Amino acid sequence: MHLSDRVTGLFLAVLGALAFWGGSRLPAVPGQDVGPAVFPMVVGGGLVLCGVLIAIGIGRSFEEAEVEPVEAHEGLARHLGDRRALAAFVPPALLLFYALASETLGFLPTAFVMVLLAALSLGASLRLAVIMAVGAPPLVHLVFYKLLRVPLPAGLLPAPW
Amino acid sequence: MTNFTRRGTLAAGALAGLAPLARPALGQGRYPARPVQVIVPWGAGGGTDATARIVASLLEKEMGQPFNVVNRTGGSGVVGHSAIAQGAPDGYTIGMITVEICMMHWQGLTELKRTSYTPLALMNEDPPGVQVNASSPYRDIKALADAIKASRPGQFKASGTGQGGIWHLALAGWLGAMGLRADHVRWVPSNGAAPAMQDLAAGGIDIVTCSVPEARAIIEAGRARSLAIMAPQRNPQFASVPTLNETLGINYSVGAWRGIAAPLNLPAPIAQQLTAALQKVWNSQEFKDFMNARGFGMVWGDAAGFASHMERTDATLGAAMREAGLARG
Amino acid sequence: MTAFLEAIRLVAAPDVLIAIMASAVYGLVVGSLPGLSATMATALLVPVTFYLSPIAAIATIITASAMAIFSGDIPGALMRIPGTPASAAYTDEAYAMTRKGQAELALGAGLWFSAIGGIVGTLSLILMAPMLAEMALSFSTFEYFWLAFLGLMCATLVARSSPIKAIAAMLLGLLFACVGIENPGGVPRFTFGVTDLLGGIEPIPALVGVFAVSEVMRAMMTPEPPPLPRRRFGSILAGQWALTKKYQWPMWRGNIVGIIIGVLPGAGADMAAWVSYATAKRFSKEPEKFGTGHPEGLVEAGASNNASLASGWVPSLLFGIPGDTITAIAIGVLYMKGLNPGPTLFTERASSMYALYIIFVLANIIMIPLGILMIRMASLVLRAPRSAVMPVIMLLCAVGAFATGNNLFSVMLVGLFGIIGFVMERNGYPVAALVLGIVMGTMVEQNFVTSLIKSDGDVLPFFERPVSSVLAAMTIAALLWPAAVWTLRRLRRAEPAR
Repeated sequence: MHLSDRVTGLFLAVLGALAFWGGSRLPAVPGQDVGPAVFPMVVGGGLVLCGVLIAIGIGRSFEEAEVEPVEAHEGLARHLGDRRALAAFVPPALLLFYALASETLGFLPTAFVMVLLAALSLGASLRLAVIMAVGAPPLVHLVFYKLLRVPLPAGLLPAPW
Repeated sequence: MTNFTRRGTLAAGALAGLAPLARPALGQGRYPARPVQVIVPWGAGGGTDATARIVASLLEKEMGQPFNVVNRTGGSGVVGHSAIAQGAPDGYTIGMITVEICMMHWQGLTELKRTSYTPLALMNEDPPGVQVNASSPYRDIKALADAIKASRPGQFKASGTGQGGIWHLALAGWLGAMGLRADHVRWVPSNGAAPAMQDLAAGGIDIVTCSVPEARAIIEAGRARSLAIMAPQRNPQFASVPTLNETLGINYSVGAWRGIAAPLNLPAPIAQQLTAALQKVWNSQEFKDFMNARGFGMVWGDAAGFASHMERTDATLGAAMREAGLARG
Repeated sequence: MTAFLEAIRLVAAPDVLIAIMASAVYGLVVGSLPGLSATMATALLVPVTFYLSPIAAIATIITASAMAIFSGDIPGALMRIPGTPASAAYTDEAYAMTRKGQAELALGAGLWFSAIGGIVGTLSLILMAPMLAEMALSFSTFEYFWLAFLGLMCATLVARSSPIKAIAAMLLGLLFACVGIENPGGVPRFTFGVTDLLGGIEPIPALVGVFAVSEVMRAMMTPEPPPLPRRRFGSILAGQWALTKKYQWPMWRGNIVGIIIGVLPGAGADMAAWVSYATAKRFSKEPEKFGTGHPEGLVEAGASNNASLASGWVPSLLFGIPGDTITAIAIGVLYMKGLNPGPTLFTERASSMYALYIIFVLANIIMIPLGILMIRMASLVLRAPRSAVMPVIMLLCAVGAFATGNNLFSVMLVGLFGIIGFVMERNGYPVAALVLGIVMGTMVEQNFVTSLIKSDGDVLPFFERPVSSVLAAMTIAALLWPAAVWTLRRLRRAEPAR
């Protein structure tokens, strides 16, 4: 996911321009000269300026030499070979899974799947992954549901407490 | 990780043990047979949350089942209000709805309105007050009203909540009742009543139209004065503050209320049972003590009374919002 | 004096002491879980306070919030997952120390200087409450605007990268803060018709996402780091006295800055830590060491953090104006227990006030032994294999984000911010600056726009009021300083070439 400054700078500039444009289209508020449009326009303008400066490489001298991280050779990253950067997107994908599935499946099964897949992707042995996936969710459930009164969904497998 | 969570659970369990948690006695066929969820559309720690929690704990005592308060925040109240409306109408999901339900649909923020619920009981209403800085030259509401009428539009600045919030509409309605345009006094949006009262004390604005309990500490500190409240009667907690009606002859009243409601089509026997229990709660000494301690206004309405109260608020606020140019569609 | 003795008797009651101990442990545990903030720890206590005596009720709030603020530093230092927006300011520094094998020094500094900050903050509350309150009440939106602007400037100082990228990251945070209906116009802004976005983007899911989730994402594609040298986790307080003597001046500066910022309603502890970390770097003799595991910033920011927590009670107790979200909750509890905020609390209920002071001091003292225990247990995490710890952290992120409003949308936000944080980090954009922008966004906009409304669009009042003119001068100086340095450097480099 390492992109050149030119790419990120231009991206920010475009985002800033969009914010400026989106802000300018916000409706004016009756009886108020300075409305909700001002701030996004100021911020958007600032982003355009910063984006352009970054794209032409100003301020580079302050940055430290890039340390390209050593690539992983375990877990999912190993299987993916050249596309190992994709492994990084496992956690957000699992969070999305939690958001979509926990209401129907219930907390315990969803958490089991999450912890199991995450542990395996990180290169845990199957034994360790299963131990964590079986052991951790009930503990988390106990703390959040009983102690903090967070209404975690019961779903298919309600907790015994 | 596991180690410290386990230790924490034990210790914190001891803390939870300080609270006498009523255990459900399982009964068959009668309501309620299991814990009831009380949804609050606003964050933990605020006035609505505190009110809901005292009501829930008294309902628990009354009905013998846990009433668990769940804060469903987000979307400026829309998320929680729709969670109440979308719950199963079996009596195990109820919630505290607030005056915003009669405002949000006018702004086009949601389809939800008062008719999306089975009203159970109105528990509280706080009328807006008119507060000025303690060093302000206006000694009473009459002097202030005359000065406002004589001022050029936008000269006076008022605050108390965000643009289009309940206290803004209170101001707009009051100005309308005096025959002035809704924006004759310029509204300065704020992040709630407390920052507005602070700005009033700092001399940044002229008027704050939040409720008297919200302004109370600053008034008692001698930094601000309350000139009037926009309610039919005086509040016994703040008996020296006159109403608009007795001073200006303006019969305008609107307030921020809180009530308990359930999803639409709740079976009538359950609804009646809940309303009866809520009436006992409302009449209990604990509830009275709590409301008086916070200075919250005690207003009761049973299911029918709550429904007609909502209908009135809805019409008043809709008119005020159109007047102020805040309503859409 | 009788009032003071009465206060001691009030605090020494068994129910109060039990409440203090139990809420201390509770605050430590909740604060250390990623995604759960000190505010949440406090809010969850409210129903419990219904059943407690007035002094015990307030004691639980005071104790739990102080503990949670400190223990928010623990996951930050050990795993680079800050517990509160405040600790995001110095998380990278503490984590760098952990990787150098100095976890105990970093956490010990957090503990020791938090306790000192808390006690100094309490002293300010006891000795100068009326004066501080007077100062707080002289702040109108004009002053707040400059203050918030100064806070944003810290982004460039805190980051160890190009200042322009830091500013860009901060602006991106401000843009996220624009989302929602909580803007001066009360109209939905950048919500794209999504109801969940109406309430805006909360700092907690963003914080958890850009730090914790992006850390798990990084772990997915990097090999397990070599285990830390397996030496005994040294004495936690050893070396703190040396640090206290060496960095005495930054410590006091942190205390004072914390007290001043904490007393201003709405600015609160979040901003105090940022400002103090930035000043520590600005005035340090060795600013180049910042960010590489150097305790100086931790000393100043840690002290500032807890000092502001104590002084934040001043406007709450005197005027019922909450200094931050924690005191907002506390005010509710005070009213409920008949201890109505206001000057009369200091005169008519003097013994209750003294009791409150005693509890503050007591909480900060017991923080040290309990904190040491907590650090020892938490540091076991460093020994566990990464592939076992990281999945649990991710689960905690999901549940913690859900718990902020019992809303699954925040869980998606956490995932989204994980990606944003991951991409930003890989390309040299500091994520801490993004968090600062999100935290401060509403305050900057609100005060900017309301000031303009009040002045009928005139800019002059921003410079007219005495306090605001001083703050404006400070801001402009801070703004021009880096540009001046840059130009000077350019000129000097250009000279030999001539």
